[in-house]
Amino acid sequence: MIEGGEVTASTSYSAPLMDFVTAIQSNLLSPAVLFFVLGVFAAVSKSDLKFPEALYSTLTIYLLTAIGFKGGVAINEAGISTVWLPALAAMTLGAIIPLWAYPCLRKFGRFSIADAGAIAAHYGSVSAVTFIAATNFLKSIDQPYESYASAFLAVMESPAIVIGVMLGKGALGGKFSFSDTGVRHALRDAVLGKGVLLLIGAMIIGSLCGKRGMASVEGLFVTPFQGVLALFLLEMGMVAGRRLGDLKKVGLFLLFFGITAPVLHGSAGVILGHWVGLSIGGATLLGVLAGSASYIAAPAAVRLSLPEANPTYSLTAALAITFPFNITVGIPLFFELAKYLNA
Amino acid sequence: MSLHPMKLVTIVCEAILEDRVVELLREVGTNGHTAFPVHGSGNQGNRNADISEMANVQIQVVVKPAIAETLLNRLQSELFATFAMVAYESDVRVLRPNKF
Repeated sequence: MIEGGEVTASTSYSAPLMDFVTAIQSNLLSPAVLFFVLGVFAAVSKSDLKFPEALYSTLTIYLLTAIGFKGGVAINEAGISTVWLPALAAMTLGAIIPLWAYPCLRKFGRFSIADAGAIAAHYGSVSAVTFIAATNFLKSIDQPYESYASAFLAVMESPAIVIGVMLGKGALGGKFSFSDTGVRHALRDAVLGKGVLLLIGAMIIGSLCGKRGMASVEGLFVTPFQGVLALFLLEMGMVAGRRLGDLKKVGLFLLFFGITAPVLHGSAGVILGHWVGLSIGGATLLGVLAGSASYIAAPAAVRLSLPEANPTYSLTAALAITFPFNITVGIPLFFELAKYLNA
Repeated sequence: MSLHPMKLVTIVCEAILEDRVVELLREVGTNGHTAFPVHGSGNQGNRNADISEMANVQIQVVVKPAIAETLLNRLQSELFATFAMVAYESDVRVLRPNKF
């Protein structure tokens, strides 16, 4: 069963466009996405609803730990020999994205060297929440996927940040140096920041414990997961909604880039995933990762190492344009593309 | 009870800068500091502190006048140009001056 859930299933021989519409529908009608919309509404209507920052951090820690642990258990099941090739492909893709995004932002977007490097770093790096929303979508339509895909998430987070920063710094007259205080702090953040540390740490623990370990923590890491995700997306809706006002400041080009970059990168991810032998679900996830833009690891690392860049550009594009696009349209789009390639 | 004149340096900046500022404090020879999360607005816009990446921090340190001057000079030359921050000193009087 491919389609399903609460949405009336279209028959499997219908046109791809119909499938896409159905997929969008079933994605939009998930609690996670609807709560995201509620969050945007709360922010736009200036409601007094506000999550304490500590809760935001707690939910992030929960989601990253749970996804990392589950991924680790899956690696234990699948064996590292199955995982390394797609993981390497994922990492390479993440590193290549800023290399082409940078000249494109410089030439067509006329961004400063630092701004182009910063935006390129954000788009090469990945958004964990978009990835989690995508696994949620695949589950809701009963589409199997490689659970070890969270390993891709872990390896795609840092390389692009380092490359984007090097582009932004290096092009500024060869000023890039690993001994620069800002760069040093940023590299530590990119490689050992909370996101990567938790993900990789939980993944190692999961792969050591395997299925038996999973049984003991399932009650916390699996059962409440969907509810926690819905709550987190409510908050993300507010965070994104508060930045909608900044859309006016970033200009038309970035609006355009914020939509086309995920489509291009995501399609490249799906094609690459298909090519290295991932299933439809796995290729969808690699597409979602490639198409997503970081707004947790990248902003902090880039702010410290490329302080000349204006964070309004990269953060607004990643958070207020690309993130909402991906969790509504992008995920079902990459899924349909993966299905089409596999047909 | 005898009170001794010292300077209180207050720095309000982006929370991601905290490590760097504290490193700088150590370099100019301070012995400690106090930091707390704050929010507000400035000429670089609202800092609504809804996610930790957009949070602000206020760092305070009591130092000898000469150190205060070095500290403020270094903040100005190294960080003011590119980060959202303010820093100022004020006169305070402390017990146990050798603590600072």
